[in-house]
Amino acid sequence: MRERGFEAASFQREVWNAVARGESGLLHAGTGSGKTYAVWLGVLEAFAPIAKSRGLRVLWVTPMRALAADTLRTLACATEELCPAWEVGARTGDTTSTERARQSKHLPEVLVTTPESLTLLLARDDSRALFFALDAVIVDEWHELLSNKRGVQTQLALARLRRFSPRVLTWGLSATLGDVELARDALLGVGERGTIVTDATPKPMRIDTLVPEKIERFPWGGHLGLRQLAGVVREIEAASTTLVFCNVRSAAELWYRALLAERPEWAGRIALHHGSMHQSERDFVERSLKEGSLRAVVCTSSLDLGVDFLPVERVLQIGSPKGVARLLQRAGRSGHAPGRVSRATLVPTNALEIVEAAAVRRGVAAGRVESSRVPKKPFDVLVQHVVTCALGGGFRVDELFDEVRTTHAYRDLSRPEFDWVVAFATNGGNSLEAYPEHHRLIRDEEMMLRVATPALARRHRMSIGTIVADAMIRVQMLRGRRLGSIEEAFVSMLRQGDTFLFSGRELELVRIHEMTAWVRAAKKGAPAVPRWNGSRMAFSEDLAECMLDVLGDAGRGLFVEPEMQAVRPLLELQQRWSALPTARSLVLEQIRTREGHHLFCYPFAGRIAHIGLSALFAHRVTRGVAGTFSISVNDYGFELLSAEPVDWKARVEQGLFATENLFEDVIASLKGAQLALRRFREIARIAGLVFSGFPGQPKSARQLQASSSLFFEVFQKYDPSNLLLSQAERESLDQELEIGRLGAILDRMRVQTLVMCTPPRPTPFAFPLLVGRLRERFSNEEVSQRVQRMLLDLERVAASEEGVRVS
Amino acid sequence: MNEIAVELSGEEVLLSSDRALYWPRERKLFVADAHFGKAAAFRARGVPVPHGTTEDNFARLDTLLVRFTPRALVFLGDFLHARESRGERMTAALSAWRARHPLLDVLLIRGNHDARAGDPPAELRFVTLNAPHVEGPFEYCHHSGERERGYGIVGHLHPSFVLQGRARQSVRLPCFWMRKTHVVLPAFGAFTGTMAIERESGDRVFLAARERIFEA
Repeated sequence: MRERGFEAASFQREVWNAVARGESGLLHAGTGSGKTYAVWLGVLEAFAPIAKSRGLRVLWVTPMRALAADTLRTLACATEELCPAWEVGARTGDTTSTERARQSKHLPEVLVTTPESLTLLLARDDSRALFFALDAVIVDEWHELLSNKRGVQTQLALARLRRFSPRVLTWGLSATLGDVELARDALLGVGERGTIVTDATPKPMRIDTLVPEKIERFPWGGHLGLRQLAGVVREIEAASTTLVFCNVRSAAELWYRALLAERPEWAGRIALHHGSMHQSERDFVERSLKEGSLRAVVCTSSLDLGVDFLPVERVLQIGSPKGVARLLQRAGRSGHAPGRVSRATLVPTNALEIVEAAAVRRGVAAGRVESSRVPKKPFDVLVQHVVTCALGGGFRVDELFDEVRTTHAYRDLSRPEFDWVVAFATNGGNSLEAYPEHHRLIRDEEMMLRVATPALARRHRMSIGTIVADAMIRVQMLRGRRLGSIEEAFVSMLRQGDTFLFSGRELELVRIHEMTAWVRAAKKGAPAVPRWNGSRMAFSEDLAECMLDVLGDAGRGLFVEPEMQAVRPLLELQQRWSALPTARSLVLEQIRTREGHHLFCYPFAGRIAHIGLSALFAHRVTRGVAGTFSISVNDYGFELLSAEPVDWKARVEQGLFATENLFEDVIASLKGAQLALRRFREIARIAGLVFSGFPGQPKSARQLQASSSLFFEVFQKYDPSNLLLSQAERESLDQELEIGRLGAILDRMRVQTLVMCTPPRPTPFAFPLLVGRLRERFSNEEVSQRVQRMLLDLERVAASEEGVRVS
Repeated sequence: MNEIAVELSGEEVLLSSDRALYWPRERKLFVADAHFGKAAAFRARGVPVPHGTTEDNFARLDTLLVRFTPRALVFLGDFLHARESRGERMTAALSAWRARHPLLDVLLIRGNHDARAGDPPAELRFVTLNAPHVEGPFEYCHHSGERERGYGIVGHLHPSFVLQGRARQSVRLPCFWMRKTHVVLPAFGAFTGTMAIERESGDRVFLAARERIFEA
């Protein structure tokens, strides 16, 4: 390699040396810096010279199927040069059956695979023998797996590999991370220290903001997004290839259509890419991107990671990235090669997002990258793993308990919990004696637990991939063409004849039949914009703090960034009519309108925590009398509207912000049970309760299907101590309510200076909340009219005030 | 538990809050979609379902029998859930229940699940018939499509109704769906799902909330 002019970076040498010393570790470097070669050349140097009989020596785990082919090519290239004796192969969901058959005779020395395909290999009866000679396992894009259940599945698989081949080295590759130690610990498991190698050379990166010429004083969340269209077109024209990131699919659909309408000649040169489009269409877009034949792709998080698109020069982020790490990840998709510059531009869609843009740039400058959270002992994944191990040659309970406890996710797992999981996997957790004919797992003569029947084994293999899959419905044209799939939750909101935007088309829903939504091209007219559930991105705590910081500066008259200068009139108006929320001061605004008595509060805790906070306040004030308040939330704050006035000052003094009984109050105020039911859907699928059936299975099989809500009901009633139920409750509290963040926010609110204002009319910060609430109640058209009226009034007052000041 | 009296084709019947219909003049009790042995069928395929649903079904059925002391009990189809529901245990439990009510006439109108599960064991002494079975002004059917001329008493749909409360709260309850030509009974079985119905004009909907029945 050196002869060919390949100059190794210092972090690459560090990795080579660590591998040579036989250490495991984590390599933490920006995108496009040469991570793959760093680890791969090290591994080749260390293990290729050791001759062994044929068999699998190195596993390369990648989170995305789409990445596998690319990785395979890269690895094969270097391997051919340095170790021609080794064969490099891939095994993913895309691998053909002939290739699989060839591999099942003997696996190649190097295998590129996904967490799901790896788990499937572990479910093979001969898994022990397969991995016996394994020298190294490399997990690519570990940051992508770290904080979700697929990552937990990977942790369990790694623990299994270490048992089969105790000397195996584990290396993780990761892009920008907030907490590198945590990422390493989760990868390597308990008791293994491991090396952390960080690429210290900063990736040259330029991030700026497209500030619109005219800024409205009263931001109307999201609605004015397309106002920046002309600017975006100019940016796209100025670069060879641009990725236009949108936060939600509906926005991507809108922008794609708007760009085409503005530049009809771009038809065929710009494309759309999001997670619910059909795989073949996405593949086509990705191929074209690589070849450089596209000017721009409007996309969502579907292109956050994946193969490197060298031609991409620019990244545009429509709306706020909602977090520093996400912005860095997306920016890194441009200039993807060592030494080239990553170039990203933020495109705020309303005035408050301009403030957010300044804040996120401060976050980037200060290196405030968010930490990830690793799921804590999810029982559903463990139930699945236990059955996998039973299939993969069987297990003894004591041994598997010790093995599972070496993973970071299950380090605190108690023996009774594990015994429960095994019992549940065996026979549903009821008394072991009751129904021996219904056991999923049985003990063989060596006291190993194994799966009872081939039918159960087949069924389990089918459900191994379910950790990612959401309940999706296919979208298909009446005339036959498949367009992709969307969340069941979204489709269930539509009625026959409703129009929605999908895959860049206006479609009319004809009927839903057997997990397929049949559609036809809609007649021309104003299309309804699809609202995809759960696609809203969470507002990160670090970004929230940066934003309070920026606002604090503004409060002292410091408008540093160009963004802040642009929104200065808005912030000054906010200050004149009320006050600026900052890290030190909590602003409560009370306004009286014809609608009733409004309270606006700005804790900057993100939408999820605000739902909890507002419901909590409502609950504490009314002591559980439901329906007294109308509630509206956004990432910055929330509104409580009531018919009767509330003495909020007295309420605060009486302990409105207390954290005592937080748990109970939040559950009571938000119908915690319903949220837990929602979480249970995923849990039931992963634990193998709900099964979508084999492809091409006859209809009679549906007699054996029941919905997760029915399971939830019968478990609650007949088996209330079921650990999957408590997991659902815990997940709903942690993820859907962010109870931890809620407590921290309340703690902060108690020490902040309380600024109570009674502005004469809605302030710039209050206005988006007001509109948000109207949106829930009225049709688009009505809202539009009402908002226009309100805007006119407010603008008139604000302008006349300024007129007075000027004169 | 309570009932609401309604008139169907000139006959007074009682709708019970525990998902059964009683016809006092003929002393007949109607139950739809019991799905006995459904949990067992799931377990047989390796899906863990907690125990207790069968016992619950029998206990509720016994309570209804004590309350109304009917001469006959009519199952409106889907009595057994699947082939796997005919296991030894289920059969023994059914026989034990039958032994507690030896004098009761039991009629089963075959439903789609019964077609696959097969008729109940002979020792249960059920009279098993195809729909529609005509008696007085009524036709007993599993699903409404089988009705011919009379007023249908049917099951199959597992109807439920979503009550919308304030603040976007809602609750979903099994219901009786009384229509112009037939009434659909809620599913009786403890391990059965429901399907939300959409009420049309002229329909009456009675929510069966276990303890209390009320009209929506």
